[in-house]
Amino acid sequence: MSYYDIDSILTDAQKLPCTFELEVPGLGILEGNAGEDIKAGTRLDLPLWLGEMLSIGARLGTSRLVTLDMPEALSERVLNALKADPRTVDLRSLAPHFYNLSERILELFEEEEMVDILTDTFKKRAAEIADHAHNSRGAVGEGVEFLRGLDETERQLFRAAHDRAKEMRAWAGQVKRK
Amino acid sequence: MAFPLPRGITPSEIAFLAEMEMVTIMPRQRLEGLELLGGPIEPIVPPRRASLPLWLALLLKRQRRANILPPSWLHPGSLELILDIEAHHNDYRHAFSPPPPLPGQPNVRELARGHEPVARPQYTPDGERYFASPPFLPQNAAESNFDPTQVPSLPFHWVEISSMLLDAASDDLTDPDQIRRLLKDIREVRMAKMRAGVDVLDAAATGGGGVALTGVGAMELGEERGFLSGAVDNLRKIGASKEQARREQMAEQRANGGYDATQDEEEDYMEF
Repeated sequence: MSYYDIDSILTDAQKLPCTFELEVPGLGILEGNAGEDIKAGTRLDLPLWLGEMLSIGARLGTSRLVTLDMPEALSERVLNALKADPRTVDLRSLAPHFYNLSERILELFEEEEMVDILTDTFKKRAAEIADHAHNSRGAVGEGVEFLRGLDETERQLFRAAHDRAKEMRAWAGQVKRK
Repeated sequence: MAFPLPRGITPSEIAFLAEMEMVTIMPRQRLEGLELLGGPIEPIVPPRRASLPLWLALLLKRQRRANILPPSWLHPGSLELILDIEAHHNDYRHAFSPPPPLPGQPNVRELARGHEPVARPQYTPDGERYFASPPFLPQNAAESNFDPTQVPSLPFHWVEISSMLLDAASDDLTDPDQIRRLLKDIREVRMAKMRAGVDVLDAAATGGGGVALTGVGAMELGEERGFLSGAVDNLRKIGASKEQARREQMAEQRANGGYDATQDEEEDYMEF
């Protein structure tokens, strides 16, 4: 991921539920009441980059400012649904950058099982994406529902496979015309 | 993405490379020898067969000055056999049909009988030894001494060469419609195999497993490159934290258990 990668920036902006451990004076603006203090125990959705910064205070010797929770997109309910059938879950409505987000989350939390579930999900869905991408009708037809639920990473994958198949057909047609 | 060109090379570039393959022609007119960058071309005298690069052969064919003799694999019988190996042979259920043997390499049957492969050197006109490797082997020339015991196999550029020959020289081939149908079937079987490889790719990403792509053609690789590399890259990212944990565990083991050769080997492997 590079500094100017727009997908990386958008991943950073996704919200993460955080709980404040300490009272912070003057930070009420985050809650919407400017000028007030923020109380200990307040639950707030903060962007990933901010939550990450605030939660690593423990390493600097001070007590940590916030504790992070799992985002809604990676909750128990979603993981169970993915375990049951990865193909029917609409990842895009959960988080537009689902895999990038989970990658960042996995850096913060130790979740062996989640890695396995996500790997399995990605493999099953990638096979499905490849099938749709090589279909000459592309993104129209019966696959629309599934393709609409692809997250950004999967869309790029679809695009790569689809463009290549299209180029191949164009080349084969070109040979015939000559 | 800021970089406008897609990764990998395009189908027309692959086809351009395939045009360097040598094919056999049956000339109808005399042609003087040519000094080409790829090597000199002998003068062509009508009743004698000649080996030419595909692009020149196609040019002469379009001008009706030569007929192209199709390579032995581009024949309904050979293709049917290959399709049978791809689709029904147990050993090749998850693998691709074997590529043409290298010079000196025993064929499939001899290998089963325990023949060892021996590299057989060839000599340049200056007397220097060299070992020919796939792009420079005459895999697409019609063989005069065709060996019926040898299992037919698809060369590296089979997709490009077959579609170019079918297009420009279909009257030189036996039963072009049947060939077209068989080629399409073979392509579909092989593409399905390649995509089924995604299932085992994560094993490749975390060390240990892998997908054998032996015998896959240039065009097929070009087509699947974007998808497969994207899929592997993403699986690696998802599994990164697990991989990290594994490494730490191994480092710990090494610190506790002292130096061990097998661990060292595995560590080297992972750093690729």
